[in-house]
Amino acid sequence: MRLALLISLAAVTAGAGTALAQQRNAQPYREHVPYIDWKPDVTGDIQHTGTYQYWKDRKALNPDWVASKEHQWQLNWKFMDPSYDDTLHGGHIARDRGAALYKKLDAGGAFAACLGARNGDLKGLRANHYPQYSTALGRVVGLEEMIEHCAARQNVTLENGSYDNSAISVYVTEFSNGMPINIDVSKGPLKDAFERGRERFHLRNGATHFACATCHVTLVGRSLRGQVLTTPYGDAAHWPTYRTKDELQSLHVRFAECNRNAGAQPLRPGSPVYSDIEVFLTALSNGYPVDVPSARD
Amino acid sequence: MKLPIAVAVVMIAGAAGAGPLPADVLVDEGAKNKTIWPYPQQDSGKLIYKDHRRDLSKWPTLSYGDDRATPRPQRARLTGTLNGDPARGKAVAMNKGRGNCWACHALPGDPQAGTAGPSLLAFKARNYTDARVYEQVFDARVVNPVSAMPPFGTFGLLSEQELRDVVAFLQSIE
Ligand code: HEC
Ligand code: HEC
Repeated sequence: MRLALLISLAAVTAGAGTALAQQRNAQPYREHVPYIDWKPDVTGDIQHTGTYQYWKDRKALNPDWVASKEHQWQLNWKFMDPSYDDTLHGGHIARDRGAALYKKLDAGGAFAACLGARNGDLKGLRANHYPQYSTALGRVVGLEEMIEHCAARQNVTLENGSYDNSAISVYVTEFSNGMPINIDVSKGPLKDAFERGRERFHLRNGATHFACATCHVTLVGRSLRGQVLTTPYGDAAHWPTYRTKDELQSLHVRFAECNRNAGAQPLRPGSPVYSDIEVFLTALSNGYPVDVPSARD
Repeated sequence: MKLPIAVAVVMIAGAAGAGPLPADVLVDEGAKNKTIWPYPQQDSGKLIYKDHRRDLSKWPTLSYGDDRATPRPQRARLTGTLNGDPARGKAVAMNKGRGNCWACHALPGDPQAGTAGPSLLAFKARNYTDARVYEQVFDARVVNPVSAMPPFGTFGLLSEQELRDVVAFLQSIE
């Protein structure tokens, strides 16, 4: 019995199936939630929760489900994105502040250029180019990490995850509204980051021994005392978001919140692990249109 | 550099094979419970870090630099009579900051029962031995290696007496 258990446990870890998992053999004992067949495209959800059909068009959400606690999770909370319900909330206030901060930083055009915009044109920058490998920084970064870096070049402090950083991110992201996320994780540094992020998404950690995948895969659609867990597909297209508890939140700050709520030690926004998970989740939003300023409960 | 230098390198006392925690782990030795978390203060370019209500630094993290091992599954043997107190067990099971069993399981009198695990209503009628229930709660991985349920005993989340109390509570659910 004991032996059988050990063997099946080994199979689980091997089931993680990547070179990374094998490299880990020499490393301390850790456990993973078994991988599912992830696709770097939002339609991958059809094989995961099958809810994609209900939220693929933000303008055609079932209004009865929007009002139903039981069904909201199947809409992936897209009714809080602006095209569906564009009520004024803290995200709009942040966007306006972000616009003002951006204009100041970009007075000479250097800020836009540093972010990678051609001729100062921000259209599509977020949807098509972030996260990306930054040659300046020598690593894969999200838009907020780049905003911090480009501001620092002008001696302005805009920490990744801070309100002002996220406000600028909302402003820049808005130029991609309606454009589907489109990042290529089939080769190069983004592929490596995608695979590392996928591995971390399944890695159990913290006091409770949960992985991200425990909640967002194993228990998806189930309720943790009133909080129903949703699919990770299509989750990266509305960030930074305004949380209705009154907090402008970047994706990395959201990860830190999930970690801490789950009884696991949070990491620093901009950390390599969060950046890799961001690549993984952004790829799961490929094909899904950007929409900010959004809100979430 | 986002944190004061003093925060970046922290020793964890007592953990096996422990070196300093990596710099991307949000731990501040001077904070109330070591674990801190980022809060975006409105109209500021700096994060503020708040105290978490609990020290979470003792368990392995997601950081690439964290070389601590996870405790392996452990089959616990219940010794002696159960000697648990159902009322105390209930206070542990139905409490967010303690066992938090109700996050996942339906328990008597909870209007927003969790559905992540099987209902534990009418548990007594299942006629499980105390030893079996104790084993499950101590470390669910010995029953299901990929269980979503936290290993309460192996990870030191509940004391032996608390585990006995929780088992007594479950065994009392009509
Ligand atoms: C204990 C369960 C739990 C764990 C573990 C967990 N989350 Fe969450 N997460 C939630 C809940 C509950 C929500 C809110 C409902 C939803 O959107 O699914 C949420 C929401 C999110 C969202 C926002 C989705 C949106 O549409 O705005 C993201 C992104 C996210 N989680 C990522 C992660 C990542 C990455 C990890 C691992 C580092 C993780 N979560 C671990 C429970 C969890
Ligand atoms: C994250 C969700 C989660 C939490 C928290 C949780 N459990 Fe569970 N529990 C499960 C799941 C899922 C199962 C199903 C068996 C398995 O996969 O391990 C289970 C199974 C059980 C069983 C076996 C039921 C049977 O009929 O065989 C018992 C007993 C149990 N849990 C007790 C508890 C107690 C007591 C606590 C709190 C100290 C607790 N659980 C906390 C998810 C959870």
